[in-house]
Amino acid sequence: MANRKQLFEKAESWFESQGWQPFAFQKETWTAFLQGKHGLLNAPTGSGKTYALWVPIMLDYLKRNPDFTKHKPGLKAIWITPLRALSVEIKQAAERLVEGLGVPFEVAIRSGDTTSAERAKQSKKMPDLLITTPESLQLLLASKDYPNTFKNCSAIVVDEWHELLGTKRGVQMELALSRLKTIAPNLRIWGISATIGNLEQARQVLLGPDSEAYENSVLVKAVLHKKTNVISIIPTKMESYPWRGHMGFHLIDDVARIVKESRTTLIFTNVRSACELWYQRLLDKYPEFAGEIAMHHGSIDRDVRIWVENAIRDEKLKAVVCTSSLDLGVDFAPVETIIQIGGPKGVARFMQRAGRSNHKPGKESLIYFLATHAIELVEASALKKAVEKNVVEDRIPYLNSWDVLIQYLNTLAVSDGFFPDGIFEEVKSTFCYQAMTREDYQWCLNFIVHGSQSLHAYDEYKKVEIEADGRYKINKRSIATQHRMSIGTIVSDAVMQVKFFSGGFIGSIEEWFISKLKPGDVFQFAGRQLELYRIKNMQVLVKSATRKPTRFASWMGGRLALSAQMSELLRQELYSANHGKKSPELHAMEPIFKRQRKESIVPEADQFLIETFKTREGYHAIFYPFEGRFVHEALASLLAYRISLLEPITFSLAYNDYGFELLSDKEIDMQSVIDNDLFTPRFVHQDLQKSLNATEMARRKFRDISVIAGMVFSGYPGKTVKAKHLQSSTQLLFEVFRDYEPDNLLLQQAYRETFEHQLEEGRLIQSLERIASQEIVWKQCKKPTPFSFPIITDRLREKLSSETLAERIAKMTASYMKGTA
Amino acid sequence: MTLEIKIHDNHFVLHASGAVFWKEKNMLLISDVHLGKISHFRKHGIALPKTAFTGNFERLTSVADYFEAEIICFLGDLFHSKLNKEWDLFEDWINNRPENFLLIIGNHDILKPEKYEAVGMAIASELKVGPFLFTHEPEERDGYFTFCGHIHPGINLRGSGRQSMDLPCFFQSKNQMILPAFGEFTGKWIMEPAQNDRVYAIAGGDIVKINMVEKSKKNFFR
Repeated sequence: MANRKQLFEKAESWFESQGWQPFAFQKETWTAFLQGKHGLLNAPTGSGKTYALWVPIMLDYLKRNPDFTKHKPGLKAIWITPLRALSVEIKQAAERLVEGLGVPFEVAIRSGDTTSAERAKQSKKMPDLLITTPESLQLLLASKDYPNTFKNCSAIVVDEWHELLGTKRGVQMELALSRLKTIAPNLRIWGISATIGNLEQARQVLLGPDSEAYENSVLVKAVLHKKTNVISIIPTKMESYPWRGHMGFHLIDDVARIVKESRTTLIFTNVRSACELWYQRLLDKYPEFAGEIAMHHGSIDRDVRIWVENAIRDEKLKAVVCTSSLDLGVDFAPVETIIQIGGPKGVARFMQRAGRSNHKPGKESLIYFLATHAIELVEASALKKAVEKNVVEDRIPYLNSWDVLIQYLNTLAVSDGFFPDGIFEEVKSTFCYQAMTREDYQWCLNFIVHGSQSLHAYDEYKKVEIEADGRYKINKRSIATQHRMSIGTIVSDAVMQVKFFSGGFIGSIEEWFISKLKPGDVFQFAGRQLELYRIKNMQVLVKSATRKPTRFASWMGGRLALSAQMSELLRQELYSANHGKKSPELHAMEPIFKRQRKESIVPEADQFLIETFKTREGYHAIFYPFEGRFVHEALASLLAYRISLLEPITFSLAYNDYGFELLSDKEIDMQSVIDNDLFTPRFVHQDLQKSLNATEMARRKFRDISVIAGMVFSGYPGKTVKAKHLQSSTQLLFEVFRDYEPDNLLLQQAYRETFEHQLEEGRLIQSLERIASQEIVWKQCKKPTPFSFPIITDRLREKLSSETLAERIAKMTASYMKGTA
Repeated sequence: MTLEIKIHDNHFVLHASGAVFWKEKNMLLISDVHLGKISHFRKHGIALPKTAFTGNFERLTSVADYFEAEIICFLGDLFHSKLNKEWDLFEDWINNRPENFLLIIGNHDILKPEKYEAVGMAIASELKVGPFLFTHEPEERDGYFTFCGHIHPGINLRGSGRQSMDLPCFFQSKNQMILPAFGEFTGKWIMEPAQNDRVYAIAGGDIVKINMVEKSKKNFFR
């Protein structure tokens, strides 16, 4: 086997035997790969991207091993997937090809779902092709003699790179690649990404800026015209549309009709709680769906998840209610129809979900959009425009994530140990740490060795030790085990396992939800009615209940915010409400606009709307920048802080994607807010930093950071936490650091992430500049307007106050239950 | 900074540190200091700042100097874990104090009795003086008013404009006073008061008696 032509013929004849034709982008990728290039493949789901890379990996092996029918042990290639749910189909695709080419390769999966027996077997004898997750790859780097495992590995493919790019798992990937480049000299690095705004940067992050790999790389774009049809589910009677809410049950009959008319349907919800509720309501109202529909989300036991994935693929199920756990598409999976419930908050995500329907190259995709409340129909209308115009978002990569670096250094110390100088060069070659100084690096080393920056004072801190030859190593077994267990926790919240009292694992649930329940309470989880029996050792013991649940399991995660591009489209859409030709969605909303105009206005492009009114709850002031939740969060704190400088006042803050509210027990002098130019973009950073809210947000960011950096050991799903005495709330950790070590890099990182990723300072300044150019329209209303309703009823709130603690307490009360002694 | 209350004709001064001073007996009550917690975490590879453990001693010194009591009684959970370096610091501290010391043993106090005796601290599982009972865990016993700790009480306050905050507190029911945790880095448990309970919250440097209202069914649309 020598030249490329012969190799291509072999691949093409296999394609033909499957009844397919290779696409141009597939062949382009094959060529680049065989030329020894690295690269990024931009291809949507359902396009045949899997074989764009499995094929040349195999061809390259054939080229270099003419005796390929004879098996040589050792790892040849790694396929990274961010979601475990995808690994099965990637494995099947690989096996199909391996078999077709007659190469005796073993293909295996290694992820959090892999049993320990299976993992041990793999450690002894690695499969030829390994499909794994970023976390499991890190775990491989934490095992003894790992360089030997990777030395002959010639390819690594990072699938769905866009999903990893703006996350800390992406940083984990960057660090792992920096190590693999050294220990696997023949490695070719490829990423696969859906369309995002910053594809060029995505390639740079994957391969390392200015790296040899980057110089020798290509960007391949799959140009596939795949039509996406977006249909809004609009009720016939608009009056019945709720002003607020996020469930959309009033349209349940339409959903049921679509499910019945379609062979297979995926119903996407944004959060797991909505997933639970929709599943239950569908079954309640349509008992005939029993056995035909199922539920899929990240907290459900893996066996159930795998069963559901297989069942929908084999059309044993008619519909699956799911969350982003089924977000990413796999090639050649047959789902006929997609329903999206609630705003998907981003074009890329919406497109990807749409791509799950009629998941075959060249065919049309069909997605129904169900707006859960009236105002969301504007979003539907904007989304349709976005799909038409191919608008896409950027994914912003992290910089200087010290928590991930500390975790990584501990990982290397757990395995064979490391020498800091060599690792410094590797780490600095990544995008994330390109600006890292020697001092920063030394800080991290001191942190893992001494647990502090003052080196002399002896104490009992023990983690990483420096051996006589200068090697950094973790020798204590318990610390090594603890570290390995914590690698997977990079994305998870504090979770507790839910188990039957009689035995049997049901799934995991966020701790804060359980903390609201008392024994005897009935809640719904994983489609079951469960009675809380007791909580023990981080396990929630439950019994089956026949009573109706009073609470539904919910999760904090997944409160998504509109992207900058989406908000821009949304504003344009809304501003068009007063003029000319309207989309069907806006047309349907006319009764709502009428109500809105009665009390207030529907703003024009050059107007900035402020509404004030009084209810039993206090004095409401609502502002409408239409910039997305995150920007509103920042704007609300900023404005509340600036107003609080004018007079002592206490606010509670609420926000959604359309605007934000400042609620107070006394009236805001709005005229002085306008006169004092409180929307000025000047001094934004200083003012934000001083607003109490930034501290609160940093406190929440610190929670994840402290878990990743190994300061909180939360155990591992599936295992009992024995180190209960080591658990402490990260809240307390934050306070200890703030009071005693304010220059701690991890603490500073919490603030930096707050400003860059949470508050999106850049976007904030842009929107303030926009507001400065608009005419401020202040409407004093008699009662809440339709626009204000979803905001003022939001229960998740922040606070900001310039009154003293004593002043505030004087006005507050604690409440007792009547009838108790 | 302080607030004086009367129980069974005796006078008790609540201090913003979480301590209680019993005037008639010249006795200072302190609960749940949890010394050694920082070191305990560090020993297990969790890098809390080393400087943090000086905070507890500074606060102990400050409240002890303020009242100049004859006896200091710890209501349990004085030392958080097995022996570590913070115990040496505690030895230094206690050796330089003029007071007498008594420890009511709490669930965290697992050191050998000799260790406490070596620094001249008496230990007991509970203490009875007149109508008063001193324990670690809350307990209502006929004929006694109990002072105790253990649960680190806190209270949730609400106000108009959807305000809400949690504060550590002294929690007094008919025959019992639960002290807040004195130690730093200890956390709190939010109590659900009954009608006649009294709550004294610690608000920065002040003690504030909290106004109580009957719990209403929360409904935005009322």
